[in-house]
Amino acid sequence: MIPVYAVLIVILLVFGAAIMSLEILSSNLMSPYFGGSVYIWGSIISSFMIHLSIGYVAGGYLCKKVSKLSPLMALLSIASLWVMFIPQMHPAVGEFLSDRITDVRYGSLAAMNVIFFVPITLMAMVSPYIIGILSIHKKASGLSAGVVLFISTLGSFVGTNATAFYLINLFPVSSIVGGIGAGCLAVSVVPLFLGLDRKLEKI
Amino acid sequence: MKLRILFVLGMVLLAVWALLPLHTVSAETKVLYEGDSIYNHIRIDQAGEERCMLFGRYKDKRQTCLNMSKPDVSIFEYTGMMFVGFLFHPDTKDVALIGLGGGYVPTVFSRHLPSVRIDSIEVDPLVYKMAQKYFFVKAAPMQTFTVADGRQYLRKTDRKYDQIWVDAFNTDYIPVHLTTKEFLQLAKSRLTKNGIVVQNVHNSNKLFDAQVSTFRAVFANVFIFNGKSSGNAIIVASDNPLYRPSDFKQSLKSRARIGEIRLKEEAHKYAPVIEIAKASVLTDDYNPANFLLHQEHR
Repeated sequence: MIPVYAVLIVILLVFGAAIMSLEILSSNLMSPYFGGSVYIWGSIISSFMIHLSIGYVAGGYLCKKVSKLSPLMALLSIASLWVMFIPQMHPAVGEFLSDRITDVRYGSLAAMNVIFFVPITLMAMVSPYIIGILSIHKKASGLSAGVVLFISTLGSFVGTNATAFYLINLFPVSSIVGGIGAGCLAVSVVPLFLGLDRKLEKI
Repeated sequence: MKLRILFVLGMVLLAVWALLPLHTVSAETKVLYEGDSIYNHIRIDQAGEERCMLFGRYKDKRQTCLNMSKPDVSIFEYTGMMFVGFLFHPDTKDVALIGLGGGYVPTVFSRHLPSVRIDSIEVDPLVYKMAQKYFFVKAAPMQTFTVADGRQYLRKTDRKYDQIWVDAFNTDYIPVHLTTKEFLQLAKSRLTKNGIVVQNVHNSNKLFDAQVSTFRAVFANVFIFNGKSSGNAIIVASDNPLYRPSDFKQSLKSRARIGEIRLKEEAHKYAPVIEIAKASVLTDDYNPANFLLHQEHR
């Protein structure tokens, strides 16, 4: 049974880290077009909150509907691919929107949502979805809802500081974003071939 | 019961402590204003004739000061040094200033360069408000003031400038989007034929090397002026400078001083040979500016 748990823990850690890492990096994506003010952070944080809240509801709902892990992994691979395209997407979006929306507050808010709505909403589904899966397979559930959130938040802590303190100084933002996307893609595709749902059935 | 009273008493005491003023200022310094904007903690105080706008908190050194009876005297070395721009382009008609602070530069312009138009761009609305209230900043036919991010302003303006001055940097934090190759390319596109970019930097950290490399990646000519009494340096960059340091004798003939600023003295700060460490060009994509800023040179 340990392998299933291990995979779930990796997924929680990786996507927890990816979400916060992208949040930190988004200020670098926004500042060339909208400046580096507290407005940018208002847009970044509020956008992510919206994406997270929608993702939580969607994650819980979908899990109830399908009760299997593989649909989540499929959605996460879409989110990861999207992230890999952000480096190509953001200059066009930033330029287009900053030319049309003069108020940097609404301009950056719009840009944040265009770029991040899909991937962050999908990634936010992870925790409620896994909590749902675990509650279906109650007997084996050593991971409580609290522990699931703990693991995901621990990932977020690492993602935030690793990015802000080190990665930004070491690598181009486009490489970091691309790397996050590629890493997430691996973590979402590999479990599709591990037969997690079958293993969970046997519990 | 007793314990509860003690607890409440303790809480009240802590609350009072929390509300006490956080710092004391020496008797001769009068605080005229203190408050927070969307970017900065701003304090304005005055000691004798010297009035300063301070950014950040307490131990921070970021400030802009004016002598209230002689507001055209440059209290900090770099503010005077930026006027070397007029040696490269003596008959300048249009200047853009990114970063207003207490408005020393527009004050000098209004007194000594009345025929030069200057558009000042300041990102912080409160700085602009305070500069009007406590300093000498006032819109006039040749002086405009815009509250906007400098890069956004340049992106959207259809004006061209003979000189673009960039003084938007703090000692402890740099707006990274104003350091990059893309930003300098944008500034270059807003210059007239012989136009120049003048930027205030610090030469004591590794960011300086990266900034010089970035300027060199965008402009055909990059000139450095080193402060004599401060760690400030001025970068002047242009593709087709009208005058070069070797021609300064000529440009000094048409303009030897601007008010209290003696251009000849400033011209001597030109550093023909600059030793910079190998540094990567700063771009929108890869920009460790704030990291390099805190790394001392050598």
